[in-house]
Amino acid sequence: MTTPVRIAQLSCGPEYSGVQKEIDQAAKAVDAEIFYPDISLADIKRDFTKFGLDVRSPDLKLAIARAKALVDGRVEADAVFIATCFRCAEAAIVRNELRRFIHENSKLPVVSYSFTERTTAGTLLTRMEALTTIARRRALLARETQVGLTLGLDSGSSTTKAVVMRDNKIIGTGWLPTTDVLESATTVIQLALDMAGVTREKIEAVGTTGYGRFLVGEKIKADLIQEELTVNSKGAVFLADCQHGPSTVIDIGGMDNKAISVQDGIPGTFTMGGICAGASGRFLEMTAKRLGVDITELGPLALKGMSAQVAMNSYCIVFGTQSLVNALAAGSSKEDVAAAACHSVAEQVFEQQLQEVDIREPVIMVGGTSLIEGLVFAMGELLQTDIVVPPYSQYIGAVGAALLSSGFIKEK
Amino acid sequence: MSEYIPRYQGSVTKYIFVESPEMTPQDLAVRAYEISGGAMIKETCFGLQVTGTADEVGKIIVALRELDPDHIFVKDRGFPPGDPRRCRANLGGARPGFFGHEFEISLIRHVSYGLHALTGRNETSIPHPPSPSTEKKLDLDKLKKLLDAQEP
Amino acid sequence: MAKVFIYPATSLILSDLVARFGHTPLSAAQSIREHIQTAGLESPPLQISPEDPKKGLKYAAVEVPSGVRGRMSLYGPMIEDADAGIIIHDADLAFGCMGCARTNELIVFLLKKRNIPLLELSYPVNDEEGAEFVAAIRDFLTRLGGVK
Repeated sequence: MTTPVRIAQLSCGPEYSGVQKEIDQAAKAVDAEIFYPDISLADIKRDFTKFGLDVRSPDLKLAIARAKALVDGRVEADAVFIATCFRCAEAAIVRNELRRFIHENSKLPVVSYSFTERTTAGTLLTRMEALTTIARRRALLARETQVGLTLGLDSGSSTTKAVVMRDNKIIGTGWLPTTDVLESATTVIQLALDMAGVTREKIEAVGTTGYGRFLVGEKIKADLIQEELTVNSKGAVFLADCQHGPSTVIDIGGMDNKAISVQDGIPGTFTMGGICAGASGRFLEMTAKRLGVDITELGPLALKGMSAQVAMNSYCIVFGTQSLVNALAAGSSKEDVAAAACHSVAEQVFEQQLQEVDIREPVIMVGGTSLIEGLVFAMGELLQTDIVVPPYSQYIGAVGAALLSSGFIKEK
Repeated sequence: MSEYIPRYQGSVTKYIFVESPEMTPQDLAVRAYEISGGAMIKETCFGLQVTGTADEVGKIIVALRELDPDHIFVKDRGFPPGDPRRCRANLGGARPGFFGHEFEISLIRHVSYGLHALTGRNETSIPHPPSPSTEKKLDLDKLKKLLDAQEP
Repeated sequence: MAKVFIYPATSLILSDLVARFGHTPLSAAQSIREHIQTAGLESPPLQISPEDPKKGLKYAAVEVPSGVRGRMSLYGPMIEDADAGIIIHDADLAFGCMGCARTNELIVFLLKKRNIPLLELSYPVNDEEGAEFVAAIRDFLTRLGGVK
């Protein structure tokens, strides 16, 4: 038995929304425990005043004082979970400022979440897992070089990717849309092995990540089974060659999007979203289909168009597609529609998620959608920066898994 | 999701706080045990928690209040004593309600003074407090700071 | 004996004074006890389930945060049931059940909307104010009738 990771909860409202048990369950599932930093009324009065954010809600004052106790080291924790009600403006300000405050003044990994009464343990699981990974596996995450012959597999919701690496170089890749999770995994692994010209038996260590990581990981006897937040961050800074210092990783996925503020390759703060498909890679796939082009052609097409010519900003994939059909019917060019679709996705990720992490350059876009040039361009425009898309960016999770799993070779 | 089976169904729990120069929580506990009957008594740093039927608890409170009426204060509690869901040992820190008590206890001596001052007096002989919407009186500490800040 | 809603609903001082002067305080504890003592599905720590914020829709619209609606499901029925209310205005250090400022604003508004007798006060910060505070509460409660 390992010692549970101690996650300090700073919150307002989960007990009254009926979701505290979901938070506790998600923590328990990754062998962590939630606790509340112990402070006194005098601490609350002093530290709330000192912090200087004059909110009215007493429970937010309490959260602020507890955050101070953590940052000052008066209370020890391994990680911090900040949770407040969705749609509360006062709490959103506190949530953001506390996340920033903890991130800037301590080494504690922190994740924040705004819940509704519908929030489930399942939704929180990957976040909690990432928190515990960062707390537990700092040594593993510090790895910067891949050694030996290793395999990484990313079993994503839309696509399955595999990478074979040898001595810090990618020598084989495989890619397929995810159908049957295990079948897709087996096939892409074979593709990557074939390209690398090696057999499965020669592989010294295996790592899995993505939605299907547990299922596939167990089947192929992976040495490392790890959520995609830490794995993708690692893969991104490795491929973009910025393992030291700050960076921001944006991954617009098929089912959810990740925005991760990274320091020395380790996530500091991160958000995961994906309530509405209008802000996902799936929407761009539908756009390509509607325009009668392959998804690989959508990016170049979008670069030729003007997004401002077409009104498209729906958070919903159904209404978004409707705007698309309307625009085409009204005589808009394919190029403009493609550009508008890219801009719409970028804008929603920007509005919903990037506000919740501190954007620090370089900004690295990864995942399959990073190959859609129009999307990268739209995001760069919104963030007013040149976005870095590293080579093999669509294999980011598999590369991260192959890199990190090489840490297990010595143990064998 | 597992089934929830409540404990102490039909019971009432009350906090009894004592903030007195004459009485300690231990004194209160001794008396409470004497008259506890079927009720459960739990000593705490501020006084007691009493759990039982509404009737049992009511009788104990009437008797305990007599010991030092102006310095004993009673409040309802939703949880039975020592409930793991509210216990500091399990939560890591105090439950939120604890700080609220801490705050009120810090000024309860003024209420005790008021209760004492009122004994045997008609409340109309004491001025009604100003409405809270009117300007608050200047705090003494603040006044002192203002005076200290003055150039000599 | 009148039912007097106390604000803050977690107040030791108001709970005590209302009961001491012969009336029934309506406080957070009663509502929490009801949850804790009702069988159902596990939803620790307060046995408030995701169904409770839905019950709170009676008092606040769906666009209002779940924490406000969950808390209103505790207080709404008590506000409707109250014969009178005592409100302490500077109750900004009452946490947990009174930990949300938006809920607290709504509670005070709904109490005022009911047109029941209300007494509004501040916490006493010295002995003189303590005497005024207690006298005002006793006077208010006496007027409600039924004082022992």
